[in-house]
Amino acid sequence: MMSVQDRPARRDPLQWFNLRGRRGAGLWAFVAMRLSGIGLVVYLYLHLVILRQLAEGPAAWDQFVALAKSPAFLLLDVLLIAGILVHGLNGLRLTLISFGVGVAQQKTLLAGVVALTVVLTALSFYAIFFLKG
Amino acid sequence: MNAVMSSPSVEVERTASSGGTWFLQALTGVLLVILLGVHMVANHFIVAGGLRTYADVVAYLKNAFVFGWEIVFLAAVTWHALLGARTIVFDFGLGPQVERRVNVALTVIGVLTFAYGVWLSVRIVL
Repeated sequence: MMSVQDRPARRDPLQWFNLRGRRGAGLWAFVAMRLSGIGLVVYLYLHLVILRQLAEGPAAWDQFVALAKSPAFLLLDVLLIAGILVHGLNGLRLTLISFGVGVAQQKTLLAGVVALTVVLTALSFYAIFFLKG
Repeated sequence: MNAVMSSPSVEVERTASSGGTWFLQALTGVLLVILLGVHMVANHFIVAGGLRTYADVVAYLKNAFVFGWEIVFLAAVTWHALLGARTIVFDFGLGPQVERRVNVALTVIGVLTFAYGVWLSVRIVL
């Protein structure tokens, strides 16, 4: 029987990786959600810097596009897509569960999140590096 | 949404956010799946080389619907990002006074972020 928790639990970020006495996929999902979230917040501001290049005009934009096509930058694109997938798919899973949908199947849902993230990230890697057209 | 379901068999992430803010976080999250999905497809996935040329971006953003879509996307992503950052900061277990200051600081950062993004977008189009 589920109980009602009035005060949400806190998890001190300094304890995120303290695995003593804790295990399970849920913990890793929690850490992945937090880390991908931090990465995506950083990317939001990086994207504003990129947008600034666009606002500067065609020369600045072309310079950025040349940089963006370097292998290191493309690898960061793959990492970004992986972060978006982890955060987005797991976020949808958590939202569904919070509304009481799929609670009994949450482990299956988590497995689906992991599988979809891996497959779609691999496809993105292939598309970015091998289908440049 | 204060009635958070929790039991050893139900892993639901709820940290230091009230029910109202959590609901808005979930709502903007679901919205972002659509807004970001369309943004990624339109700006990257269907574009040769993954990035539009300068002229293409300007022409694309001059469409009023697209411009509105990107501004809504900016608002949703700024809200979601800073509310998420707030949740993580609050996880440190700060006192009520510090939490109030964090709220004010993040609100100011959010407004500035949104305003800067809108200003850049307008500057690109004009």
